[in-house]
Amino acid sequence: MSIQLATPKPSWHDFWHDLLHKLGSPLHDIASTWWGISILLGQTFARLPRPSCWRREEISQAIVSSGIGSLPIVVISTAFAGIVITNEIAWHMDTALHTVAMIPGFTGQFILRELGIAIPALLLVSKVGAATTAEIGSMKVTEQIDALKLLGIDPITYLVFPRFVASMISGACLTLISIAVTLICAVGMAVLRYNFSILEYLNALRHFIGMGDVFCAIVKGTVFGAIIPVIACGYGLQCKGGAEGVGTATTNSVVSATITVILLDFILTYLFTSVL
Amino acid sequence: MRQLLQRAGHKALHEVGDIAIFAGKVFKTILSTRGNLNPTLGQVASISLRSLSTVAFAGIFVGAILVLQFNVILAKYGAQSFLGGLNTSALVRSVGPLIISFLLAGKIGAYTAAELGTMRVTEQIDAIECLGTNPIQYLIIPRFFGIVISSVILLALGLLISVAGSMVVANYAAGINFLEFASSIPKFISIGTFFGGMFKSITYGTIVALVACHKGYSASGGARGVGKAVTMAAVYTNLYIVIANYLTSEIIQLVETWSKYFHFFSEGGI
Repeated sequence: MSIQLATPKPSWHDFWHDLLHKLGSPLHDIASTWWGISILLGQTFARLPRPSCWRREEISQAIVSSGIGSLPIVVISTAFAGIVITNEIAWHMDTALHTVAMIPGFTGQFILRELGIAIPALLLVSKVGAATTAEIGSMKVTEQIDALKLLGIDPITYLVFPRFVASMISGACLTLISIAVTLICAVGMAVLRYNFSILEYLNALRHFIGMGDVFCAIVKGTVFGAIIPVIACGYGLQCKGGAEGVGTATTNSVVSATITVILLDFILTYLFTSVL
Repeated sequence: MRQLLQRAGHKALHEVGDIAIFAGKVFKTILSTRGNLNPTLGQVASISLRSLSTVAFAGIFVGAILVLQFNVILAKYGAQSFLGGLNTSALVRSVGPLIISFLLAGKIGAYTAAELGTMRVTEQIDAIECLGTNPIQYLIIPRFFGIVISSVILLALGLLISVAGSMVVANYAAGINFLEFASSIPKFISIGTFFGGMFKSITYGTIVALVACHKGYSASGGARGVGKAVTMAAVYTNLYIVIANYLTSEIIQLVETWSKYFHFFSEGGI
């Protein structure tokens, strides 16, 4: 004996409804998430001039965990990046112009404008962004954020704003540190393998880079540092559906933060190259 | 300070050793696995389709950023005619594989670690073992090959999109038209360069797959442990990839130097 269920007759109306639903719901999800993130960004910026929001203890804790915590990985990665960039540029110069005399200018400019900024930003995304989303997402799922609201504590002032300020500061500092490390490794590689002397290298470098480049690097580092925790917290605050939801939110936040960093990098590069 | 360094060194060796043991297990299982094609192809399809839009979007903008930067630098030497070759060569040789594997680490690596970690924490992997199935054969190998194969597929597609994007940006922002851009490409690139890029991409894909699977497979301590595994997978993958970037680029340069003498891949190219 089998039970026969009455299957409804499929109609065109249902088909179009399903199709639009399937196409539209991911778009709706993305749009609502980014709307939430932009509102969060506005709310965080609105707290900048208020002195009561600057909680020193939380900010310094966040600097220790996000900035100093990611210092070793940033230093190791950028050291290898400096070695690789010298090698690659030497190979290209040798192929195109049959000389390696232009290594210092080319390498120095590329490190100061792009390499020393993009690599720590991408590493910060995967280290700080993922950790922040996982932490805030699990707080959201276990209703700790609702508990904070009930106690009359503003979750943005208490959770988002300290991370924002800390990440901004540590983004700028990490950019400077990584530029220094990359340059040192590039100089070392050029001295060891391509027979430059240190003074010769630095003298050639002097003609191509200036304080303007350093200023642009700091601006870029600050902007990337500012946007990463806001995106991560936005995804964390909007995640729903238990532990699985936290995992999905973490993955999505890392990917969208990476894309946002690349996009912002393009926009800032375009601005700086057309202004300077 | 000395104690700190000792502890860091101990931790690093522990980390690398764990992954090496895991890799040994996986490779041993590969040799004894037959007829596991369908789940692997399914993984390839789902991974490539899920990360295609991300890779395309990132590819366009990475190409554009490189064009803008190289244009400024090359303009100082008056060597703008090399822009196309330099840009494409940088994309194929190091930036393309690097960015794509960073994205794969964030998107697929974290997802795999979370999936396997949840299975481990909810004791599903133990259940599979109890049923007499090898969990490495059943769970890890399709994901491993899925990530490695789709990283190569994504590299090919991403490079195409990225070079096209940089051509457009070079046309509008740097005043280098399509023909000038394309004509300087063969100066720096031969077919061997693409094999080099593929080699890099396979290496990074292996790293992403091994680290993500290992972190997920050995997760412990409830939902919190899964979260920790995901974060660790993302961070360590990026670190290993940057180190592997150095090693692979050295190997590729060595091979290229040798192939110059033996006239392997170069047909009037390099």
